[in-house]
Amino acid sequence: MPAAEPVFRREFPVKGGDFAKAGAAACEIKELLKDLGLDAATVRRAAIVAYEAEMNVIMYAWKARMDLAVSPDEVRLTVDDSGPGIADIELAMTEGYSTATAEMRELGFGAGMGLPNIKRNADVFAIDSEVGRGTRLDITIRTNGHHP
Amino acid sequence: MSTPDRNYHAIHITKDKCIGCVHCMSACPTRAIRVADGRARIIDQLCIDCAECLRVCPHEAVHSHTTSFASLEAFEYKVAIPSTVIYGQFGSSVVPNEILSALRRVGFDEVYDLSSICELNCAATEEYLNEHPRPRPYITATCPVVVRIIQRRYPTLCAQILPIEPPREIAAKILRTILPKALGIAAEKIGIIHITPCPAKMVSINSPATLSKSYLDGAISIRDIFPQILKALRKSEEDAMMRHLFPETLFSGIGMGWSLSGGEIRGLKRHRAVAVSGIQDTMRVLDQVEGGLLQDIDLLECTVCPDGCVGGPLGVENRFLAKSRILELVGAAGEHAVVDQKDVSRLYHKNFLSFDHPVAPAESRPLDHDPVKAIDKAKLRDKLAAELPLKDCGVCGAPDCRTLADDIARGYARLEDCPFIKTAAKEKR
Repeated sequence: MPAAEPVFRREFPVKGGDFAKAGAAACEIKELLKDLGLDAATVRRAAIVAYEAEMNVIMYAWKARMDLAVSPDEVRLTVDDSGPGIADIELAMTEGYSTATAEMRELGFGAGMGLPNIKRNADVFAIDSEVGRGTRLDITIRTNGHHP
Repeated sequence: MSTPDRNYHAIHITKDKCIGCVHCMSACPTRAIRVADGRARIIDQLCIDCAECLRVCPHEAVHSHTTSFASLEAFEYKVAIPSTVIYGQFGSSVVPNEILSALRRVGFDEVYDLSSICELNCAATEEYLNEHPRPRPYITATCPVVVRIIQRRYPTLCAQILPIEPPREIAAKILRTILPKALGIAAEKIGIIHITPCPAKMVSINSPATLSKSYLDGAISIRDIFPQILKALRKSEEDAMMRHLFPETLFSGIGMGWSLSGGEIRGLKRHRAVAVSGIQDTMRVLDQVEGGLLQDIDLLECTVCPDGCVGGPLGVENRFLAKSRILELVGAAGEHAVVDQKDVSRLYHKNFLSFDHPVAPAESRPLDHDPVKAIDKAKLRDKLAAELPLKDCGVCGAPDCRTLADDIARGYARLEDCPFIKTAAKEKR
């Protein structure tokens, strides 16, 4: 993003295991994007991405910071967690693959659609993970560009 | 039938009665109320006619525009189609046939039960879900407030509203098609009136979201017509005995419980459906659906009143007793279908039961229509929120500090409206 471009930023701390607040950050992000006047389709994609990313942290990581940066052209979300990390990213990106426990599935999560779903709704998607330290997601959704 | 009005609202504040307290403002789920100059004011664009304000106002200053019985004089022939909620209003010794009969004596030329049409709607919904495997979940369109809230707060879910008209409109459409010919009376001289515990039905009638014109001519509140029904019931013991011994209407057990949360989906055989009731829970679940969840569910029934329509604010009997009575009637009516599946299929495939047009999102309300200015205003709003005490006292006239910050950023309020900021500024001087 060029420095001169106006950017709205906000950070959202997310705590691992905090199911009581599940979806709170994603909802706030969604409301913000509506207030910023983004089109409905972009808001929907961003809401899905934010929801999945937030749930991943709540289910698997210890804590994370979600950073939102919105410019007129794009929504950028980075999620930087301290957590167990992902040993085999390629496997984790496979639809249907999940390490979710029975309890998580009981709650309707852990269908193994999280990361692939994020990627599907993003225009740019990068993932970086280190076992024992954490995972970082870098997601961009273009507001004017076409979704691939 | 009146012409559609986009800004029509059923909920209004009577200025003379409002004392400017903050009960309604705190209760409003869409933060649509502000108090200024000692009076509450509703912001049209944000109001979804859920009537939470009407429930909590201690001064009866919030009222709903429903149809008065006297105004029906204009019609040559008056037809009532009461919500099945009415069967739960009179205790366990009064049977539905007696209530329908009493309504005739109140002055309706004919009264039709809705339970069979509810069953028809359920069967049509099943067919629609069979034929449309995506998207999931579909959301039912019975509650007009749910439709409004989706248009305003969840615009991306408009396409997930299941496009089958609710029973009250289907019934009115059938009657409006058949009665003029059957009676030899011009269509416009026949008044078809819903009787309901719900103020928002006036919204779906006057400002329909899915029809070019509603098939109903009005909605009378149960509360308004209750005394007349009671009087008619008391007057004639013979009639009561007749209705007990020679019941003339066949009620549908599948449709009878329609007004209770879960009633709309109870008759579904092959689909996974979930029922949600209450405004806060409905919003929570719609947030999840907008976030891509619940895709393993076929149908989501949402009603914003607690426990479903039976918890509507314009009923008389408390909703727990009404619910218990209706459950009794559901049990008595049994599980067998009263509607012929062939009739359902025929009407369904003729698109007789469908929306005229899909639900359209309401105009959005960004901080600014210019994206760069919107970003500036969002930054300003965050800065203002950081200065405010976050005590959400409501004295400024906004329901909470964040909403005041939002109002200031939009140019509708000033920071000095906050009593804490004002006092601090005074002390400084």
